[in-house]
Amino acid sequence: MPETAGPVHDAPHGEHSSRGPGRILVAVYGILALAATGRSTLQILEYFDRAPLAYLLSALAAVIYIVATIGMARGDRTSTRVALLACTVELVGVLVVGALSYAVPSAFPDKTVWSHFGSGYGYVPLVLPVLGIWWLRRVRAASSGVR
Amino acid sequence: MLTQVLVAAAALLFVVALVYAAIDRLIDNFLLGLATLVELGVVAQLVRGLFGLGRIDTGSDTATFAAYLLTLPFVLAITVWSAIKDKTRWAMVAVAVGAFAVVVMTLRLQQIWDLHA
Repeated sequence: MPETAGPVHDAPHGEHSSRGPGRILVAVYGILALAATGRSTLQILEYFDRAPLAYLLSALAAVIYIVATIGMARGDRTSTRVALLACTVELVGVLVVGALSYAVPSAFPDKTVWSHFGSGYGYVPLVLPVLGIWWLRRVRAASSGVR
Repeated sequence: MLTQVLVAAAALLFVVALVYAAIDRLIDNFLLGLATLVELGVVAQLVRGLFGLGRIDTGSDTATFAAYLLTLPFVLAITVWSAIKDKTRWAMVAVAVGAFAVVVMTLRLQQIWDLHA
């Protein structure tokens, strides 16, 4: 490909959820969606009986990551709303499952993405929905201002 | 050996992509070449890992190992493709995020291998 080095300008953010810093969020959500989907699918297929609750929660988390990724990447009004809902569910999930995994460890014989507040993933699952909600609300506010 | 080289190359890609983002430089042949090298390493790791999968003790980590092996080739492919398509500094940060994920997931693969293989 030709050399394309040179000064660039940021995409006009505030209008589309996958532009500007949203590009990073889409990338992180996409990576988590891929990893969580693959892992939970194999866990359910290979040894579901070992920790059904944990594996089902992992699968749920994976689906929510997929929905959030697609919603942010599409960036239209409805998609942004769906992504915002997905991020909210994700935040509630990581807080509730995180707390339960400490309170009732016997219910979680194997780790999920959300158990121990996402410590197995460097607490990214805890921080990400907060960033996602902040970003999507900002995008929505900017879009409302434009319209 | 492959793990060390792959981690070093991905870490270099992470730093270079961040520097590019900081100085408003778009993806060019050097960064694309570096990303291609990392991707080749990831694919080599996938092949090696799939052949060694049977040597890992049965346990929950097998799923993580296989999932990470299969996921890794897509991480850089998607973030680099995104940086080619969307020519902004934020796309370069996304490449850096992808490179960082390659470092972390490769180290996790090695950890599982050392513990269970």
